[in-house]
Amino acid sequence: MGKMERFSFVALVAGILFFLFADFISWALPMFVLKDIPKKSVEDLAAEAISRNSTAWSDFKKLARYYPETFKKLCQYEESFSGAKKIPESECKPNGKTLAKALRVGHRWYVAEGCWNCHSQMIRPVSNETLRFGIPGVSNTVSYPSEYNNELQAPVLWGTKRVGPDLIREAAVHNIGWQVAHLYNPLYTSPGTNMPPYPWYYTKDSKGNIVPNERGFGLLTYIMWLGSWEVKPPKDFRINIKASNSAKVEENTSKNFAEAK
Amino acid sequence: MATNSQELQNLVNYGLAKAHVAMGLVFFIIVGFMGFLYSLQLDGIYPFTGIEFLSPGRVRMIHTAGAAYGFLVNMFTGLLYWAVPRFTGYRILSDKLGWFMFFALQAAVLITVVSVLFLGMADNVEWGETPWWIDPIIVFWLLLHLMQFGAPLFKASQRGPLYVAGWYISAMLIWTPLVVFMGNLIPRFWSVGSGAGAVQSTFIHDLVGLYVTPVAWGLMYYFVPVIMKKPMWSHGLSLLGFWGLAFFYPMNGVHHFLWSPIPMFAQYSAVFATVAVEFAVTSVLINFMMTLRGSAEQLKYNVPLRYMYTGAIFYWITCFQCAFHVTLTFQKVIHFTDWVTGHAHLIMFGTFGLWVLGMAEYIWPRLFRKETMYSKGLSEGAYWLLMIGVLSMFFDLTAGGLVQGFDWIGLNPWIDSVNFSKPFWYFRSVAGIMMLTGLLMYALNFWKTATAKTGLSAELRAQT
Repeated sequence: MGKMERFSFVALVAGILFFLFADFISWALPMFVLKDIPKKSVEDLAAEAISRNSTAWSDFKKLARYYPETFKKLCQYEESFSGAKKIPESECKPNGKTLAKALRVGHRWYVAEGCWNCHSQMIRPVSNETLRFGIPGVSNTVSYPSEYNNELQAPVLWGTKRVGPDLIREAAVHNIGWQVAHLYNPLYTSPGTNMPPYPWYYTKDSKGNIVPNERGFGLLTYIMWLGSWEVKPPKDFRINIKASNSAKVEENTSKNFAEAK
Repeated sequence: MATNSQELQNLVNYGLAKAHVAMGLVFFIIVGFMGFLYSLQLDGIYPFTGIEFLSPGRVRMIHTAGAAYGFLVNMFTGLLYWAVPRFTGYRILSDKLGWFMFFALQAAVLITVVSVLFLGMADNVEWGETPWWIDPIIVFWLLLHLMQFGAPLFKASQRGPLYVAGWYISAMLIWTPLVVFMGNLIPRFWSVGSGAGAVQSTFIHDLVGLYVTPVAWGLMYYFVPVIMKKPMWSHGLSLLGFWGLAFFYPMNGVHHFLWSPIPMFAQYSAVFATVAVEFAVTSVLINFMMTLRGSAEQLKYNVPLRYMYTGAIFYWITCFQCAFHVTLTFQKVIHFTDWVTGHAHLIMFGTFGLWVLGMAEYIWPRLFRKETMYSKGLSEGAYWLLMIGVLSMFFDLTAGGLVQGFDWIGLNPWIDSVNFSKPFWYFRSVAGIMMLTGLLMYALNFWKTATAKTGLSAELRAQT
């Protein structure tokens, strides 16, 4: 037994071998199992949102239309921690580049504000969570690995505690106006809540209205992006195709569905 | 003290031990206060609403990351400066390196506080919230820490087998830099999504299991026999406890994300390893309880020893609880609720907090060459406030967690779960006030002991 009680034996066997063995089982093997799921960059995510015409894209365009002054400032905004770079004025309109930048900025402040201390981003297959989060029939699926395989989930934002509701299916739950009011002061929209207000994401525009500033713009884009890939058109729009209608209409609709999927 | 001979005194660098323990205590109070502030937000009476750098979410990150690097690392390093040279018989590698490490650690913690509160730079790795660019510095610091304490341990093991405390501390010295590197840098640069989740959960658990737990048990194996002046009850159980912990503990991590998109085999292996760890823990506890047999009356008047055994019993309660709530069945209800918060506070404050306070209270008068602490009353009062405070917070949050869990399953409106939790959150803040008061009393006692002009003499001494 004497050898087992030496520094070098403990350091090698317990310190290194056991540690490597455990890490092999608990994360190297899971990483290997998941390795074929493509990893998406933020630019990929933005391009995907645009090509599928998802709610993230339409909400981003809405934000740019509502708050044009902030949108211009967002193009100018520059910081190294999230890697947000200046966008020249000629390209400063809703496109893949600006959407990617807004997502980056939003994700950075979502993490920095500690939103993930109280809001999880994971729907478990138990405890009625698929019924509670998202909108039934529209966006209430259970979490699956591929939706997390992107740059904005490294490290992953599952969280360990819920004070507020889960946010990974948020896109279908509230609209952009609700989110703008809620982030400024949650009591305006959710009476009795204990979420703190975030007035430093807002500023006054030239007319004196309170509008989101460039960080708030990013944060709202990011929140409205969460779960946008799961939002399906409401049922009414999905089944309302009559066989008697012309073949052309049907063809167009199914093409739209293929894109939306 | 008769045992505190000149030879033993020359072994220990008193200044480093004093500095680390004092800073550890300061950070303990600060992170405790941060946690209290965050609890006021849950109660709906946060005093700094609308101030960006005191936003509750940011304050909470200081509460967790500060507890890891400011409080625990400082405290444990200070205690290691006392314990390692004394049980190995060799000095640490270098005193100058020690002072460099001391200032580097405080600087790293202060930079973290500034970047999280003021610059909005953080990582979403729970209790690794330090921004990613500071993590390589912490890993480098931990490599220096390995050399600093590895040197006396290595020299001693050239002479013969190491004492139990030495195994735990040797393994911890190797594990900690690996764990911090793994948890903070792999999920950001080499992994993504569910794979990153598996690494992060392993980190959440390994910083507890492979840094805090082994260093704390190592120190317990040193301090408890020294205070009681008798050997551990069973060497076989010490071996079983150490190797059981070393093998099963690193595999536990994924139990933080059960029912998640991580492949099920990893989740099952984590559940299995967690239940296995509880057996190893129980063997360690049996060893300590049997060592106490025949000396239990010392708990009446020896406050440091009482801290240690209270912490040990809380440790076992936490581990016993863990063996059940780690199962997939319990997880359906308690995951994401305050049950987990209560569990975390009982282990971090109730066990490791009380242990380091007990150990620090044992070495503090000796560091200043006094025979006893300044005030017995402050010492006792702090113990009871801390112990009752953390225990009531544990029961309160456990009950609150069950209410939340069943309320969520029941699909009531979300705001109901917030309203139902309010009484539990109010009570948690009250328990927090008790714990903070206890800590302030404890710190006052430390201050008075260190600055007392005349040598304090022990009124009641153990019969030697």
